Amino acid sequence: MSNFSVAFRDAGTAIILVIRGELDAHTATELESAIKKCRDEGKIQIIVSGADLSYISSAGLGVFMAFIDEIRSLGGDIKICSLQPKIFDVFDLLGFSLIYHIVPTEEEAVSLFEQGIQPV
Amino acid sequence: MITVFTHLKRWIPPVIFVLFLGGTTVFAFLGGIDEAATTSAKIFHHTALAVCFLCMWATLNSTGNVNSPVPTQVFWQITVAIIAAWILIFMVLQIPGGFSETHIPAVSIVHVKAALLTTLFAGLSFIVIQRCGHLVRFRRTRQSERIWHLLMLSIFLAFAAVTPLHHQFGREDSGALGILGLVALGIAVIFIFLNTVRLPWIFRLSFKQKLATVGLGAVVVALTASTLLILFRPGTAFSAIPNINQYLNFYSLPLTAVIVLSTTFGFVYALTSVLSLIFHLPTTGDYRRSVDEMAAIQALSVLVRDVADAAKLYHWIVSTPVDAGRGIAAWLMVPDLESGFLKLQIIAAYNIDASLADASCELKEIHQDAVRTRELVTIQDTVLDRRTEKGTSAGIRSLVAVPLTTSTEVLGTLFVSRDIAHAFEKDDIESIWIFASQATLVLENVRLLEAKIEQERLTSELNIARNVQQRLLPQTMPRFANLSIAASSIPAHEVGGDYYDLLELGEGKLAFIVADVSGKGTSAAFYMAEMQGIFQALARLAPEPNNFLYHANQALGESLEKNIFITAIYGIIDCHSGEISIARAGHTPAILADKDGTAKLLRSSGLGIGLNRSKLFVESLEVIQLTLNPGDMIVLYTDGVIESRNPEDTDFGYDRLMESINKFRHEPAQGVHDSVRETIDKFMGLEKRYDDDLTLLVIKWHGRAQHSGQLA
Repeated sequence: MSNFSVAFRDAGTAIILVIRGELDAHTATELESAIKKCRDEGKIQIIVSGADLSYISSAGLGVFMAFIDEIRSLGGDIKICSLQPKIFDVFDLLGFSLIYHIVPTEEEAVSLFEQGIQPV
Repeated sequence: MITVFTHLKRWIPPVIFVLFLGGTTVFAFLGGIDEAATTSAKIFHHTALAVCFLCMWATLNSTGNVNSPVPTQVFWQITVAIIAAWILIFMVLQIPGGFSETHIPAVSIVHVKAALLTTLFAGLSFIVIQRCGHLVRFRRTRQSERIWHLLMLSIFLAFAAVTPLHHQFGREDSGALGILGLVALGIAVIFIFLNTVRLPWIFRLSFKQKLATVGLGAVVVALTASTLLILFRPGTAFSAIPNINQYLNFYSLPLTAVIVLSTTFGFVYALTSVLSLIFHLPTTGDYRRSVDEMAAIQALSVLVRDVADAAKLYHWIVSTPVDAGRGIAAWLMVPDLESGFLKLQIIAAYNIDASLADASCELKEIHQDAVRTRELVTIQDTVLDRRTEKGTSAGIRSLVAVPLTTSTEVLGTLFVSRDIAHAFEKDDIESIWIFASQATLVLENVRLLEAKIEQERLTSELNIARNVQQRLLPQTMPRFANLSIAASSIPAHEVGGDYYDLLELGEGKLAFIVADVSGKGTSAAFYMAEMQGIFQALARLAPEPNNFLYHANQALGESLEKNIFITAIYGIIDCHSGEISIARAGHTPAILADKDGTAKLLRSSGLGIGLNRSKLFVESLEVIQLTLNPGDMIVLYTDGVIESRNPEDTDFGYDRLMESINKFRHEPAQGVHDSVRETIDKFMGLEKRYDDDLTLLVIKWHGRAQHSGQLA
């Protein structure tokens, strides 16, 4: 029933999680276990790419918050890219753009990792 | 009257019997059936006799227990009846007088003697056939009843067939019966044998009862055989026996035929019973066992009706196969619902230590095999099976595991074990399988019942929670000069995470807030309550938006889970001046709508509460200060409004919201509020379903003029 999916793709030292569909309270656990998997495998340079993300609920936003402190304390980061304007707006309204790197393309996200730039 | 009549009715046959017996005897005594008697006199005599003995039959037939005969009792009654009849017969034979050489009574008293002897033999034989009949008709079927009634009919036909031949008094040779009589007797004998195979009562008896019945049955066989010997008196070897036969034949040859047939039936039936009983003695245990099993299953289905105690039910499930003799120990393994289906536990055990059984065998593996295949797992020799090779230490030498599964659910596995190898016979396994399917049904019913109760409990608790939460929201809108205010909040579920509130700060100032806890349902409701406490306490102490939100973030930051945040929009308005200051903590921006039809989003920067506890929260927080013009409105809402969807999956969105506010901008706050809500509902369509909590707060400043006008 779930029309949400996560795909993994390596990009140098970073790993890209391509998420598509609707990220709500029910599907949030899928993204949660995907990020957990990355963390457990030591892949802490995480890029969440959401070109085909059509909806995100507050529970979906919560997934990013659940891991960010831990990932950053390990020296990694979660960066977000390729969002549709409507979805970006949801992130932005909440103030996510002040805390996370939210960039237009995967390449920019990868290069931020390569340059070692961390948000505030 | 009716009871008197039924009472009387019972006495009609015996009275008629006595009257007719007396009448016919006197008739004979007076010479009514002598050689010289007319045919009509003979017909009269035999008709009277037929009526007389039919009444005797009816009288005796009304005694005894036809519905649930006890075999020992039946044979005992027959024994007593025969012995009593014999004693009486012996006494009657003491009356002097007999037959002449030409087989006619030497003296008139012989008529009385013959009547008494016939009566005694008839009584004896009637009791024999009737009591045996009770056994034959035990658990009667349509077929068995038919055969029984045909026996009765054939005996009556023999009576009728022999009647016309009864003209040669005292003839002893059977040739006197004639072809018709012999055929009738032959038919009767066939039905005698057809009825003697009906022995359905045997299976019900216990071993002891069978032994007792064999003993009494043998006595009945001996007594009926002796009676037949007396009746036939074959050869000279039995010359010591008084020649009773000639009295009976003289009195009524047809009746003698009935007596002989009835006694013969008793003899054959008793003989068959005794032989069958002896034959069935060794199998008694098996039958009792399956009777016990059926009783147990019956008890189980009764139990489920008033089962409030699951432990009691589990105990029944494990004890029944053991008590029914299908194993020596049994236990039930079920998935632990609390911690998921992978964890299994033995919830009940009978005649075995559960932990010992679990430790000695790979029960989980067997359970999984049984559940996966939905088939019974039989291990006839546990030593030879890897999963159970250590089972001997727990006394498990052979093992049967039955999955208890419904079409959708795995309820558990029932294990039955024995302490010797190859101990499970085919019928044991079948019986356990049948029992398991019964147990599954019962268990499933209990589960459904429990789920229903739990659901109702939750519903009622959620209703309480809903009421409590509704009380956290303002029950009435504060009445303020120059302001009209309207608000509402609908949770998507019973309880929600949306919150709005208003608080008078004095000097015509009003604090207002709309907040939205991330997620939905119960956890959101708790944080919503916390938010309410913070607002009510903090808004007085730190009314300025940046102060308030800073402190709220500090306070809530401590208690919020990592992945939970609260967005809030908070402001204060001066109802005299129309000055307003408002700040947004990650919340959907407020809409400012003026009376000229311009609406705009007040999109200041600000982080959601709980996102960040450092100074970033304060630094990024932007407070908007502006002065309202009369007719200006501030509309606050949660994302539930924006994300309301129509059947085509389109969001309501900001544009439609602002458009609908503009459309109704000339109305007071309540009118705007109601119209916007109506617009949203219409947009969502007939099958509107709130996916998210939805809150709307409208504050309209009407301007100083109205205020002073009211004062004037």
